[in-house]
Order: sequence, then C-alpha cells, then structure tokens
Amino acid sequence: MTAHSSGRPSNPTPASGTGRFGLSEPTVEKLRLYRKKSLQIWRIFRGNWMGMMGLLILLFFIVMAVFAAQLMWLFSVIGGWDYAYGPFDRVTTTALVTPPSPEHWLGTDIRGYDILARLIYGTRVSLEVGLVATVVSMGLGSLVGLLSGFWGGWKDEVLMRITDVFLVLPWLVFMIVLATLIPGGPSVGKVILVIGITGWSSTARIVRAQVLSLKERTFIERAKAIGAGDYYIVRKHVFPNVFPLVFANSILTIALSILSESTLSFIKLGPDPTQVVTWGNMLQDAVEGYAIRNELYMWVLMPGLCIVFVVLGFTFLGYALDEIFNPKLRKR
Amino acid sequence: MNSLITILLVLILNFLLFRVMPGNPLHSIVPQDPQIPEAYKQKLIDKYGLDDPLYVQFFTYAWSTIHLDFGDSFVYSGTPAMEYVLEKMKWTLILTGISSVLMIVIGMFIGIIAAWRRGGAFDTGSLAFSLFFYAMPTFWFAMMLIVVFSTELRWFPSNSALSFGDTLEPTWASFVDLVKHLVLPATSLTIGSIAAFSLIMRGSLIDVMTEEYITTARAKGLTEGQVLKRHAVPNAALPMVALIAIDLAFVVGGAFQTEVVFNYPGVGYATVEATYDRDYPILQAAFFLVAIVVIAANLLADLLMVYLDPRVKMG
Repeated sequence: MTAHSSGRPSNPTPASGTGRFGLSEPTVEKLRLYRKKSLQIWRIFRGNWMGMMGLLILLFFIVMAVFAAQLMWLFSVIGGWDYAYGPFDRVTTTALVTPPSPEHWLGTDIRGYDILARLIYGTRVSLEVGLVATVVSMGLGSLVGLLSGFWGGWKDEVLMRITDVFLVLPWLVFMIVLATLIPGGPSVGKVILVIGITGWSSTARIVRAQVLSLKERTFIERAKAIGAGDYYIVRKHVFPNVFPLVFANSILTIALSILSESTLSFIKLGPDPTQVVTWGNMLQDAVEGYAIRNELYMWVLMPGLCIVFVVLGFTFLGYALDEIFNPKLRKR
Repeated sequence: MNSLITILLVLILNFLLFRVMPGNPLHSIVPQDPQIPEAYKQKLIDKYGLDDPLYVQFFTYAWSTIHLDFGDSFVYSGTPAMEYVLEKMKWTLILTGISSVLMIVIGMFIGIIAAWRRGGAFDTGSLAFSLFFYAMPTFWFAMMLIVVFSTELRWFPSNSALSFGDTLEPTWASFVDLVKHLVLPATSLTIGSIAAFSLIMRGSLIDVMTEEYITTARAKGLTEGQVLKRHAVPNAALPMVALIAIDLAFVVGGAFQTEVVFNYPGVGYATVEATYDRDYPILQAAFFLVAIVVIAANLLADLLMVYLDPRVKMG
C-alpha cells in the first residue's frame, strides 16, 4: 500500500460546485480521498480479530489512565470510604502493610499507600513511558536508517557497524549499565532516555532496507530526473513510503518499552516510588514487603496482570497493523 | 571481520561509558569510600593512568582490558572483578544452557506442528499462548511460579542455587539439590522465550512449504510425514541457527531477571547487586564479558550458516 498507488481516483466524481467550508476544490478532493482510504483501512482492520481485541484492551487502559481520579472517587462512593485515596496518600494508621479489606480492596503497601489507587494511577506512567520512549527510539532509528540508506558508501558502512553493536548487545545488561552511569538521580526522563538509546537499532535496519529498495524504484528516478533535491525526495517520496512500516513497528516497540520500564523499575533503577508510581516499582515494593511469603497475592498479581494486558494490547494491535500495512504478510 | 569491528566498537563503548561519561571518571576504578587511604587511591590512579590525557587513557584501558583487568571489586576488596564475574558465570551458563536447549527444542516442535496444521486449533492456540507469554515480564512470571510451586505447593525451593553454600559436591544428593533449585528458574526462562522460536519456525516452515521441491517430493509419492521430516524441516531450520544467536541477547536479559527473582548466584544477580553497591569494576567486567559472549555466539552462528548452507557466503 504505497502512498502513490492511490494517486488517482478510479471514478472521478462530478465537481460539487464551490468547495465546502471555503476550501479549494483540489483540497476537498484530497480530503475525500483520505477519507475513502481511511475507511478502507478501517474495514480491513475491523475484520482482524487481533487488532480489534488489542484496540479494546488499550481503550480500557486509556480510560483508566485519563479518569484515574474519577475512578477512585467512584470506588470511594461504592465502598463507603472516607475519601478517594491518591497514590501517595498514607492511608493506614497503625501497620503499614495490611491485607485486602473493605476500605482497601487490594490492601496497603510498605509505605501505607493504597494499592488499588497506585494500580490505577500507575497506568499513566506506564503508558507515558511507553509512548515517549518509543518516539525517541523510533526517531533515532528512522534518522539513522534514512541517512544510512540515502548516503550509502562508507558513511552507510560506519552507521551500520554502530547499529550492529546496539543490535547485538544484550538489552537488559546495557540498560542496567546506562541507568547506573547516567548522572542524576532516578527519574522518568532517565528511564525514557535509557530505553530510547537501547531500542533504536532494529528500526534503523528496517528503515534502511526500505530506503534502499525505494532508491531503485522508477518514481524516485523520475523525481531526480526532473530535478528534485534530496530533501524534497525524502520528504515527498521516501518518507510516505517508509512511514506505514515504521508505524506498525512502533506499536510493537511501545510494548517492548513498557516491558523495559517495568523491568528497570523492578530492579530499582526506575523512578523513586514515593514520587512516581509505576507497576514495576509496585512489584519491587511487593518484594521488599515480602508479599509472597505473607501470602498477599493481590499485591503481586494485579500490577503484573496490568503489564501483561497492556503489552498484549499493543502487541495485538502491532501485529494487526503490520498485516494491513505490509501487504506481503497478508494471508496467502 | 565484522565481528572484530563489533568487538572493537564494544571496547570503545565500554571506555566511553565507564571512563568518559560525565561525573567523576575516577569512580569507575577508584573506590570513593572516605575510609580508604589516599595512598591506595593514588596507587590505583597511577596504575590505570587516570591522570593521563584521554587518548593515552584509552590505550592504557585497552591494554588492561585485553588482559581482562577491570580493577578490584569495591565491595569484595582484593578480588579482581573479572575473577569474581567468571566465578558467577558458571551458574548463568548452567541456567541459560539448559533453558536454551529446552526452548529451542520445544519452540521448534510447536512451530512445526502449528505450520503443519496451519489455521487449525493448535495453530491459533499456540499463537495465543506464545503472545501471552511474550507479553509477560519474565521477572513477574518467575514470581508467579514461586507463589504456586514454592509457597503454596511447596514442591521446589525458590531461593539460591543450592541449599548449603555455593560449591557443588560430587555426590548424588548434591546433584538432586542442584536440579531441584534449577527447576523453577529454568521453567520461567524457558517458557518466556519459547514464543520467539515457535513463531519464527512456523513462519519459516510455511515459506518452505510453498517451494517447488516440496511439490516434487509430494509428486514422488512421499507421505506428508516424510516430506516434512526429510525436505521441509531441515531447510526451514536454517534461519533458526542465525536467530538463535540473535535471540541470545534476549535470553541473557531473561536470565538476569530470573536470577534476581530467585537469588540465583549468577552474573545477572551479581550485576544487579553491583548497581546497588555502585561496584563499578564488577559492573564493567560483567558488561564486557556478556557482550563478548553474545558477539562470539553470533560469529559462531554465522560460521555455522556458511557450513550448513552453501548459498550463504561470508560477508
């Protein structure tokens, strides 16, 4: 599905007088085509059970992240609590760790925080880190891939050797080393940086391969022949053709970034649990609070399930989009 | 040749990370504990040339790295970092070795059946199973195994590699003890990584099944089983060799998480402990060793590919 194959409508509609909303006619026509194409993609997408399931799972978590405070308020009304707990409110008076009770459905943790509140608010950071880290690593990877494929020659060679190193290094070990050595205390920004730096190499490879194959295609040659500059060709011809591939890939990268964040937080290299709540540092707290030995299973079970389902949602969606944007993968 | 360049780049990266990174570059070799006498610190600075200009430092560093000298551990003073990490390596090798064999065999088996019965119940089921475990953080799966099989059922221990100490005795009881401690860590590592292998084997086999020589084999009157065993699987398994090496980087990541959860005394556990103690020499030695092992495995896979598949030429 290249952006160029649909350049001309198969049955041109009669021009509908002056453009609607004061837009010029070519713009209206363009919008109409975009709409048609989006509907077409949506129709393919709707028939893909994996994609729909992924979308539903993600909608659930997005609602949870956006309406965290409202959700807690609703629960406080249902449960008859004194107030809607926040993720950093010390809610216990005597013991810090308590088992699930009518006031605290999932119990309280080693700092006397309500585990349910932390679980719900934790969605925010997990999604945020996943998205931003992916933008960082995708941007870096696309840039390296584009330049490498476009330049060719020794520059390509140098960039690819560097990419190889990042590809082959065991990601977790590399992340641990980076997180320990980058100066400054633990923070969300640092986690994003670490995931971004370690995660760009496969994107660079994919983009480079795509650019190399595009370079040989006739429409690029044609553009060059009529005098288009490098920048113009990249913007108008290369980028639109690489983008769908990168897009599907980036959804899968979000899944990996969320997994990385939870792992880093779990080994205490993530943000400070008294400042930022993530599912990963909730699990770390559970280890420190001997949750398993004391049979406080909810504390261990729920954050993990949230991670699994968010990651699964993005993975499903990524696979579905890959199938749609990458016609080679369509069922033969 | 490419592997040599990769190793050289890792050498440079290691230098950049531990010696040039902002902050005090002395940190990585000289312990910052105020109780340690200045004279000792100065001796270390002289030995590793930390006062020299950067390019001189690089050669001093490269020289000591070639001799696997990463300085002494800060915490276990007097123990060379590399010696400490190598000692831990045996446990990681036992754990990843057994798990790798299991995940490759089981993964390929699942992939073959899924491709063979493509679109069937097994195919869909195994895909869902694979993705579910792929989405699961290895450390959390390990914790769940402890909940079920250690805390509740009390079948297997959840801590460390042996009941007493960490030296393996050449007795039957000691061997049983080792295996018992290995069951849960190996299970969590294996199941978490099966997906990568089964999905790739499935895709590869589906590709091969559309080749013309498969049609020829069928035309000769071979049964489906024979076609699969003699013609399809050997050819489909080829790309697996390369992927096993690439996935090793992920398996090592999984092993690190598993070791942390089970307090399994391998390199992963040592590395994470080292980050808590800011024990930079150990961190550096572990990073370098693991990187070299993974690169060597990749090189080995490349060579093996050339040997197995004459169409592949050394790049």
